[in-house]
Amino acid sequence: MENQIALKVSNIDKFFYEPSKFQVLKDINFDVKKGEFLSLVGKSGSGKSTLLYVLSTMDTDYSGSLEINGKTLTGSTQNELAKFRNANIGFVFQFHYLLPDFSTLDNVMLPALKLRKKSKEEIREMAYENLKLLGIEDQAKKSANKLSGGQQQRVAIARALINEPAIIMGDEPTGNLDSKNTQTVFDIFQQLSEERGQTIIAVTHDDEFAKNTDRILELSDGSML
Amino acid sequence: MIRQTNFQVAFAHLSSRVKQSLVAMLSVTFGISMYIFMNGFMTGVNDVQNELAFSALAHVRIYRDLPKDRSNLLASKYDEEATLINIRNPKTIQYTTGIRNANEVIDAIDHLPEITDIATQVNLNVFFRNGSAKINGLTAGVNANDEEALFGISESVIEGSWFDLNHRSDGIIMGVGLAKKLSLNLNDNVQVSTADGVTRNFEIIGILETTMAGVDDMKAFIQINAARQLISKNRSYATDIQVNVADFEAASAVAAKMRSLTDLKVESWIESNGQLDAGNELRNIIALAVSFTILLVAGFGIYNIMNMTVNEKIKEIAILKAMGFEGSDIVQIFLVQSIIIGIIGGIIGMLFGAAVSVVINQVPFQVASLETLPMSYRAKDYVAAFGFGLITTFVAGYLPAKKASKVDPVTIIRG
Ligand SMILES: Nc1ncnc2c1ncn2[C@@H]1O[C@H](COP(=O)(O)OP(=O)(O)O)[C@@H](O)[C@H]1O
Ligand SMILES: [Mg+2]
Repeated sequence: MENQIALKVSNIDKFFYEPSKFQVLKDINFDVKKGEFLSLVGKSGSGKSTLLYVLSTMDTDYSGSLEINGKTLTGSTQNELAKFRNANIGFVFQFHYLLPDFSTLDNVMLPALKLRKKSKEEIREMAYENLKLLGIEDQAKKSANKLSGGQQQRVAIARALINEPAIIMGDEPTGNLDSKNTQTVFDIFQQLSEERGQTIIAVTHDDEFAKNTDRILELSDGSML
Repeated sequence: MIRQTNFQVAFAHLSSRVKQSLVAMLSVTFGISMYIFMNGFMTGVNDVQNELAFSALAHVRIYRDLPKDRSNLLASKYDEEATLINIRNPKTIQYTTGIRNANEVIDAIDHLPEITDIATQVNLNVFFRNGSAKINGLTAGVNANDEEALFGISESVIEGSWFDLNHRSDGIIMGVGLAKKLSLNLNDNVQVSTADGVTRNFEIIGILETTMAGVDDMKAFIQINAARQLISKNRSYATDIQVNVADFEAASAVAAKMRSLTDLKVESWIESNGQLDAGNELRNIIALAVSFTILLVAGFGIYNIMNMTVNEKIKEIAILKAMGFEGSDIVQIFLVQSIIIGIIGGIIGMLFGAAVSVVINQVPFQVASLETLPMSYRAKDYVAAFGFGLITTFVAGYLPAKKASKVDPVTIIRG
């Protein structure tokens, strides 16, 4: 169990053609073990977000192969990937995208309602738990677009956790948070990886944050150092 | 199956864009109400036209057709090829006119279930004379009750009473224009003479006004036996047997059945009055063309607004897809929105269409026998309007929904 591979990327190349042809990812190869808490660092523009979109299965326009939990995802259809994401990947975007027409609680519940593994009551219960974990349960009934940036980011994290995904990916998930909340999020991630064996991949600019993770991957101009 | 989560998202979208949703709803309401109004109006016009026409025209008429070729009247009697026929002077040969035994014909067709009413008539060309005034016209010998059953003629009698004809063998009921031309009033006497020179006196017991010049200025009604007497025919003689059927649109089919039961000429109103049927058909086509155009416009309204919604919600679509919503979920989310718009807009449209119809139905329009603009209220128009409205919303909503399902989440989320 300990050394099971959660995620494996081999020979990933990716090009952008607009405005001019340029290689954004260059022969990326690495494995992530199950339960590993990984940080991805690098200068702005080095390709961290682009790599994360590939890992999240949302971006399929690359060459090379991606394997999660032993399943090769490269070449799967969009619908298969959507189902896979829903059940196995929690994603926190760089700019904390919530659905503005929904309440905080509904935002957190939505991926689980889509998955339909649990009853609505159980899902509501869990969503509350997750919001409490992140210290924003008092915002549950509020419309998502009424929250501050930091609050929205924490809601997005609560949402990423709701389906207890095998892998949680965050693109600067603590970018908008103060040091106290950053510490809270770090502790949650660490707890998830240690106690529940969930794999965490977090892009970060915060050296302190990165230093405390299990492993640091560094990107420079699209290549892994 | 539409997944509940998709419903939830669809409702959230709708309630976050109340104004646009209302505009889309209004375009459906407008399309459906105009569909109902247009079709109700055209059907109303058709009904009035038919009612008017069928007050003088039976659904099926049975009569003896004159032989087309009178040079060889015996041809049908001797059809073996070996028989040579030579008629020296064909003009002198008497051939049958009219129906000699109408009762026999009626007995033969009577059992057809489609038939609702039968009336026998003896129609004659006659001269009406009052002193020196002499006018060529028509006399119909009728049975007053049968005539009423087919044509509802008593409603047109403006002086005297139609049913007096039942017991007045010397009575005549005359068109108002004809009476005026002859300077005749109720209870006056009039002389009727046939082509063969038989003349008889009748007393005017009723005056008739149908608004149809062909009747009002030319025609008079007497008892059928009085007419038979005028031309010295037996008590079962008739020139015409008029038949009404339950569904006048099926008249041709019933006429075809009757043809196998009698040698006489059987003619449905569609064959004898093609222009009436053509008029009905044309009005139906106009109503359909106009209402489909309006529905199309309504469809474009929904299409536009749903397209705007998709563009406005493109970030949300990207997030939903990132969370694992499939293309089919996204299609459902937007299709549900347009169908809800279609259903609500459609229900309001049916109510509004009924209201518009009622209002237009009150507009005064005093031409011919009309008082106000005609209108028909048929459940099937409402069902069709709602059905077509839903189909329109479905199609108009599907295209933007399909577009939404193709959104690439990465492009949107990367910004
Ligand atoms: N859609 C795009 N088209 C072209 N170039 C892009 C696109 N998205 C990102 N880039 C470029 O790719 C490089 C990597 O971007 P990104 O992955 O966002 O970097 P990071 O997240 O490490 O800051 C940058 O030079 C950026 O300008
Ligand atoms: Mg980035």
